[in-house]
Amino acid sequence: MTDGSVSILDGNTFVVSDDRGDIEATPTDTAGLFSFDTRFLSKWVLTVDGERLSALSTDDLSYFETRYFLVAGTGTVYVDAKLSVIRRRAVSEGFSETLEVLNHDDQAVDLTLRIEADADFADLFEVKDALKKKGTYTREAAPGRLRLGYTRDTYRRSTAISSVPKAKADEAGLTFRIRLGPRESWKAELEVVTEFAGLERLAKSSGRGRARANMESELERWLDGAPKLHCDWDPLLTTYRRSLVDLAALRFSPLTAGRRSLPAAGLPWFMTMFGRDSIITSLQALPFTPELAATTLRELAIRQGTRTDDFRDEDPGRILHEMRYGEMTAFEERPHSPYYGNADATPLYVVLLDEYERWTGDRKLVRELESVARAALNWIDEYADLQGNGYISYQRRNEETGLENQCWKDSWDSISYRDGRLPGFPRATCELQGYAYDAKRRAARLARTVWDDPAFADELDRQAAALKRRFNRDFWVEDGKYFALALDPDGNQVDALTSNNGHLLWSGIVDKSKAKAVARHLLGPRLFSGWGVRTLAEGETRYNPIGYHVGTVWPFDCSFIAWGLRRYGFKDEAAQIAAGILDAADFFEGRLPEAFGGYERSVTKYPVQYPTACSPQAWSTGAPLLLLRTMLGLEPVGEHLVVDPALPVGLGHLELLDIPGRWGRFDAFGRGFMSAERAPKLREQLGAAG
Amino acid sequence: MAADTTTEFFESLGRRAHEPLLEQTVGTIRFDLARKSDVHRWFVAVDKGDLAVSHQRRRADCTVRAPKQLFDRVASGEVNATAAVLRGAVQVEGDAELLTLFQRLFPGPPAETSAKRSGKKP
Repeated sequence: MTDGSVSILDGNTFVVSDDRGDIEATPTDTAGLFSFDTRFLSKWVLTVDGERLSALSTDDLSYFETRYFLVAGTGTVYVDAKLSVIRRRAVSEGFSETLEVLNHDDQAVDLTLRIEADADFADLFEVKDALKKKGTYTREAAPGRLRLGYTRDTYRRSTAISSVPKAKADEAGLTFRIRLGPRESWKAELEVVTEFAGLERLAKSSGRGRARANMESELERWLDGAPKLHCDWDPLLTTYRRSLVDLAALRFSPLTAGRRSLPAAGLPWFMTMFGRDSIITSLQALPFTPELAATTLRELAIRQGTRTDDFRDEDPGRILHEMRYGEMTAFEERPHSPYYGNADATPLYVVLLDEYERWTGDRKLVRELESVARAALNWIDEYADLQGNGYISYQRRNEETGLENQCWKDSWDSISYRDGRLPGFPRATCELQGYAYDAKRRAARLARTVWDDPAFADELDRQAAALKRRFNRDFWVEDGKYFALALDPDGNQVDALTSNNGHLLWSGIVDKSKAKAVARHLLGPRLFSGWGVRTLAEGETRYNPIGYHVGTVWPFDCSFIAWGLRRYGFKDEAAQIAAGILDAADFFEGRLPEAFGGYERSVTKYPVQYPTACSPQAWSTGAPLLLLRTMLGLEPVGEHLVVDPALPVGLGHLELLDIPGRWGRFDAFGRGFMSAERAPKLREQLGAAG
Repeated sequence: MAADTTTEFFESLGRRAHEPLLEQTVGTIRFDLARKSDVHRWFVAVDKGDLAVSHQRRRADCTVRAPKQLFDRVASGEVNATAAVLRGAVQVEGDAELLTLFQRLFPGPPAETSAKRSGKKP
């Protein structure tokens, strides 16, 4: 990990600690044991005879289990190695920790082991904004156990700590006094359980606290069930495995989903259901793990908006933005129960439903969700057209805690004119129109083939065609030959050049005659850094290579751009983007961050990670999967999977075996060209030749 | 018994008889609403959108327990049901998905509540 911290997780329960396994949270620090958006341990510090320990090494056994090898003392030069301590921690319903002490000396020793424990029960929102708590704390110590509690009204959360053998417990922690003979060792098992008063029955049925043995065999099953990758470029194999393991770790079961799971958005802040992120990751992972899409579709349907609620920015038919379970949500101090303020998840929901059917042939689910899809389509026309001009636009109604920018580029300065001015609201960003177009086209197909409503299909096709015509007229920046980022409240173009153009190709809303100019921009010097496509083009006033949405490169964004380029036949260009992102992944040991700097590749030689990017992040994890799809040109057509590979130079062969779908299992093969004259390098890179 | 928000809410469901928002839903929810030493019990059976409301004891897939006073505010839209579950004010046992779907039938918050929480000036 970048900051020396170690994270392990299971669903939305996770631990962030230092490399000794210790937790020492400050009010704004993310260290701790978290579950359902609440910090259940803010302090967990081990000492031997009053001294902190030093880390020799840390071993991530799996995403839910870590082992820490420690020695007594914190001296920087000399470490007395007569005593070593091994902590082995696994996350489940809280965590369990095995503490082992080994005496390497030929003398007996008397030792005092102490674990200091505390819990602030902070809501994740409080950790982010450093807010004060409103409830009261309790501490109950009994032999072998300590219970830390927090109460505000009917809201009660507690952390139950126990040990075998029984420790002497006080309100601040647990103490073991032990005597170790020469070469002897000693062991204790510590159990930390997160408790939710009044929610136990819900939490239990959600599959929380799966036994460790189950988790191991379950991860094996997950990896076995995924298609097998073979290729002649080893870093891609590492990246692929990393993606599958991280995706397993990011699975999350909402309280209503039983043991089914969907992708949460990212660690540590975003281990929850997000409409946009869960849909996008499910799309990326469809050729690999289609069951994620099924759960995403079902769970988002259950929570589809049905009424008008300004606090939650809810409308009938709208797909949720974010669900949270912490104290501030519970007391309606935050709107996340759930919050609906996004403008893209609703059309993207329909896109996922169609893409899911094309891959799996699961018509039963598509029939079940017909009314949900119709309500989503109705939202596009009846609730999202804030200006009455036929375009989706957004303006929050919750002016206190709602989101200003309700598209994926949701930071405050992400939507700007070339000259850096920010437009007023409502804003109609371009990619939303592409998603709406695609949603209508795809829904038309479903209406024709599954819902048996050809009249509705014709109507949707007509609307889509009209939207496409208008869009290509109103958003096209004539003097730049690209699509404007948005229309402002006066209907004028917000004329900055951005990566959003790639999403438009993906949606198919771009006129054929304009596609070449768009592709040229995406691979041109202002947008393409050599690693990927910058969110905002170099030369625009707000361009900043480390600006969150105004210059960094987002791997997920690039994976959709590559898909879009393929849709319009730009195979080599798509391969070039795949090469850049996969090269970058190699620098991050296969785990792509949320975003990295937009610096020119030839200048920095390596991708510069965005300082506070969250990692692993679901749609970054999904990016290599979608890039495998675009490189192999996988496309379901009827009952078959069509393969049309276009590999980057340097990738000689690529095989993806056992791709699941309506065809059963299918193998895809691709052959490419090796560049013979390429000079040997320290590090073999795919995109450097391009 | 004097008419109150909760009684009106359930009786209006009974009169409505069919609810398009629950056309994919099948199951029975039991509501145990406590007032002093009394428990007001309601059963709502949902069968693909058809609603049957009664006090008659029957097997339920999901049981919801709450103080009657609080439930009045849920039934009027003033209190959000999911938030109330998260803070333990409303307790759920059994099929939670059923309650998640059922709460579509609660009205949205009154304009005043909504404006206050959203930071809007009146």
